[in-house]
Amino acid sequence: MHLTQELELFPDVRVTQLLFKEVKNAAELRQSAVDGKINGALINPTMLVDPFQVLVAANKAVCFQKNGKMKTRALSSEIIFNLSPTNKISDAFKRFGISDGDDCVMVVVVQDKSETPCFDDIVSKVDGCQIPVKDISLLSDHMKIKKLYKVTPQEEKCGTLLDAVVSRMATKDVL
Amino acid sequence: MAVPEFLSTAELLKQGAEARVYRAQFLGKPAIVKERFPKRYRHSVLDEKLTHRRTVQEVRSILRCRKAGIPAPVVYFVDYTSNCIFMEEILRSTTVRDHIVGAQQSDAGNDVELRLLAQRVGQTLAKMHDEDVIHGDLTTSNMLLRRGPQDKESELVLIDFGLSYISALPEDKGVDLYVLEKAFLSTHPNTELVFEELLKSYAASSKRSPAVIKKLEEVRLRGRKRSMVG
Ligand SMILES: Nc1ncnc2c1ncn2[C@@H]1O[C@H](COP(=O)(O)O)[C@@H](O)[C@H]1O
Repeated sequence: MHLTQELELFPDVRVTQLLFKEVKNAAELRQSAVDGKINGALINPTMLVDPFQVLVAANKAVCFQKNGKMKTRALSSEIIFNLSPTNKISDAFKRFGISDGDDCVMVVVVQDKSETPCFDDIVSKVDGCQIPVKDISLLSDHMKIKKLYKVTPQEEKCGTLLDAVVSRMATKDVL
Repeated sequence: MAVPEFLSTAELLKQGAEARVYRAQFLGKPAIVKERFPKRYRHSVLDEKLTHRRTVQEVRSILRCRKAGIPAPVVYFVDYTSNCIFMEEILRSTTVRDHIVGAQQSDAGNDVELRLLAQRVGQTLAKMHDEDVIHGDLTTSNMLLRRGPQDKESELVLIDFGLSYISALPEDKGVDLYVLEKAFLSTHPNTELVFEELLKSYAASSKRSPAVIKKLEEVRLRGRKRSMVG
């Protein structure tokens, strides 16, 4: 169900994605994240096109953490910040973080290789139904994504929506 | 220092004067990594600034092209500490250079095909110049042909924006074409007519082309005078 990828640049680090639908306790989850009781980033999956988008955000977050260049205070906030096309932290949280009324959530966990991978804690905290991460496209809102990232029809002629989104995420600090 | 360690295990494709190009897996996908390294003979602070600026210009130009619908590799990640750009590997592709060399070696009927290719290059460059992107190093090695699925025609992808910049000046666009003309005709003998076709289609594709072509002609003259003196 979940998807784990080792980061090639940081072979000691693993990124795991877990996806849930029919979630009934988004408000509670959000509060737990604020209180630091959930070890992961809680993301609104309607803004995600593909698991690769999350990997790009997580890789950049880990890299900036190691270089001491993070724009936010925690790795999970940095992942959310990196998903956004703009450099405004509050916008990133509004669009890509979860809101109290949401009924689906993507949880992203960054772990060291030495830690035993165990996601029971997260699965037990979410009152919802876990689905395979590759089904993310069933939840994504393409219209909203295109509007937020300002993707034009001509750009989609030379690549996919994922290509457009990832390019903007990767280059936003110098635009 | 994660990136240098990573690169030491990657496959080196090209060692240039300013950059190295590698092939590697990145986040599970086939990727190309371009690393700009410090040049010893330059002052280190100045060098760092220049290298950083080139990296920034390269990703900006790529993004500008893609937004305008001109195919260029997707940028996955930029590490400004090591001045590395991680980008999509253009799979199932050959350089336009290899394609032309191959077409010239096998005879019969390739003339039409080469002219069609030249037209496509002309159109793409006109579109790029209309976005005010100056490539800075146009050669047939910096253009890839990506084969489409089955019978779909192949797609022209521009690469290596390492010397690119943004400018609306017809002079800059004219010099961009002049650089290509020099490289094209010296790499591919007897292609004067093919290159003419390229320029014709460039001229027909852009409203702003007359000023650019005029500059190109001026630059050619200057080039000739210089070579007569030197
Ligand atoms: N994104 C790419 N996809 C596939 N091949 C590439 C890519 N970038 C560069 N190359 C290859 O590497 C060579 C050197 O790259 P460059 O220095 O960027 O011109 C090119 O001539 C291509 O054959």
